[in-house]
Amino acid sequence: MRKRTLKRGLTGFWWLTLTFLYLPLVVVVLFSFNASNSAATFTGVSLRWYKALLGNEQILSAFGNTLILAICSSVIALCIGCLIGYGMYRHRHRKLGWLIVLIYLPIVLPDIVFGISEMAFFVQIHRLTGLLQPGLLTMIISHVTFQIPFVALIVYSRFVGLDPTLFEAAKDLYATPVKRVVHFMLPTIKPALISAFFLSFTLSVDDFVISFFTAGPESATLPIYIWGAIKKGVSPEINAIAALMIGAVAIAAILSLTMSRRRQV
Amino acid sequence: MSDSFTADVTESVDAPPVVDTDEPRRQASSIEMQGLHKRFGADTVALDGVDLTIEAGEFFTLLGPSGCGKTTLLRILAGLEDADAGELSIGGRTITEVPPHQRSVNTVFQSYALFPHLSVRDNLAFGLKMRGLPAAERDARVARIAEFIKLGDLVDRRVEQLSGGQRQRIALARALVNEPDVLLLDEPLSALDAGLRSQLQVELLRVQKRLGMTFVFVTHDQQEAMVMSDRIAVLNGGIIQQVGPPRDVYERPVNAFVARFMGHDNLFAITARQGNRLTTTLGELQAESPGAGDLLLIRPETLDLLAGDVTGVNHLPARVTERLYRGSHAEYCLAIGDTTLQATLNNRGRHLPEVGDRVTVVVAPEDLVTLSE
Repeated sequence: MRKRTLKRGLTGFWWLTLTFLYLPLVVVVLFSFNASNSAATFTGVSLRWYKALLGNEQILSAFGNTLILAICSSVIALCIGCLIGYGMYRHRHRKLGWLIVLIYLPIVLPDIVFGISEMAFFVQIHRLTGLLQPGLLTMIISHVTFQIPFVALIVYSRFVGLDPTLFEAAKDLYATPVKRVVHFMLPTIKPALISAFFLSFTLSVDDFVISFFTAGPESATLPIYIWGAIKKGVSPEINAIAALMIGAVAIAAILSLTMSRRRQV
Repeated sequence: MSDSFTADVTESVDAPPVVDTDEPRRQASSIEMQGLHKRFGADTVALDGVDLTIEAGEFFTLLGPSGCGKTTLLRILAGLEDADAGELSIGGRTITEVPPHQRSVNTVFQSYALFPHLSVRDNLAFGLKMRGLPAAERDARVARIAEFIKLGDLVDRRVEQLSGGQRQRIALARALVNEPDVLLLDEPLSALDAGLRSQLQVELLRVQKRLGMTFVFVTHDQQEAMVMSDRIAVLNGGIIQQVGPPRDVYERPVNAFVARFMGHDNLFAITARQGNRLTTTLGELQAESPGAGDLLLIRPETLDLLAGDVTGVNHLPARVTERLYRGSHAEYCLAIGDTTLQATLNNRGRHLPEVGDRVTVVVAPEDLVTLSE
């Protein structure tokens, strides 16, 4: 009897946790369909705030910036992180402790410290050379830096999970170094590359702090726009943006998860 | 027997011979190794001067305990490892410096190393594709090898659906389909259970005889080596101890290491000798033509046991201390004074002495072998 009570209690706790996590999101999505502009009372279903979004050029430009930033930085981070992941795998027998720590430091560093450092760095470069004025380019560079460790880690763990003899089998079966990359390595780690891309993309869309410190006047992303907008008070338009972002991130997360599931095979 | 792979394949399926003019009619290749040395790190010596000639079309086995250098030697043949010193040639062509992807040598790996991202069919065609053969010819060759190895519908499965034995045969087919000069096999059967293992031993042997291809086989199992090989090289400590046909290596081992590795336990010190008369810890024995060396090897299966006390040349009184009945034969532990001797008797319906019986051990003078430590 006691065992059964405990089991029920634990199940109840699980649902409580889920509610705690997702109820706020539900509220935001619900109020994005609110017919009135009140943030407190729900008066009826309407798409007026979504329509308002489409007419707001600032929001559209912020949305564009977010996409450009996320795609460019993810692609670049994928290329560099993939090479680093492979390098870590190839030299895994050497003692690389300090090097690995250097690569992973950006993951544990507080975003605010990272953002301030990036800003200070770009300011100095700009002062000395006139290049790298704050804008999309500086944002892409700083996003790439925090995405690389994630990509490298995912690629590395895929390589470690492979039978090392496969590399020798490819050599033995007449594959030149270039053909080994094209016909063996890339196809073998493809699922890892896809999930690394989606993770980088999600991290970039999600980021506010680092973007905020490295952005220029013309390159506000959605999180930066939202932050600026709510200083004037919460508008139901913001709820609509938030709802759309929740949807996009959920889709990216599901895709990334299914890709990594398939990779287990 | 033809040396051509194509001809044998068509033979094997009882179809009329196909004239395939694109096929190179290649002779089997011999392998020449001279003074091969290999070290790992400062003090691990893997190969310490290996000179070896493997004849064309031979099933040659490198036999030894783990760490004896047999796998290193195989990897040097494949080009996956570079020798520190020495020369290697295959079919008369020196290939010491040639990278693995340019060698006409293929390997069946211990872990099979089938590509997980490819279907069985694409695994089989991988080598041909890398060499740039057109798709039509790749398909034809894959179909031919699948017929030859009798893969049946395995070709259309996914790699993860295959059992160990099936993977092993796919790995063999993936190497053979390239028609290499030499096929290397790195303990390809060691991951399989005993029944499947002996079945695949026979199959592998048949494939080799049919193709007349040079096979270099690595194993630590002396039984497997004896069943499969035309010749065996026994390695220890990076040095070849003995090279010869299985019967030579088993019946006339050159030293105690080879004898023990081939499974012999009946080794006795020779304390004195006078012509053909050897004084050993067992007593005095007459050998037909004893060689040099101060150890005497008596193979258990050359011994005969007579009931009771019988006198004669090479007749030793003994007591049965242990008997293991194995159906087709029985294994005995015998005490002769303080020394233990092992004997194997065929079960041909005769009386098998019991534990505690007093018996007389008889050995023929021509079955006694001397060797050095």
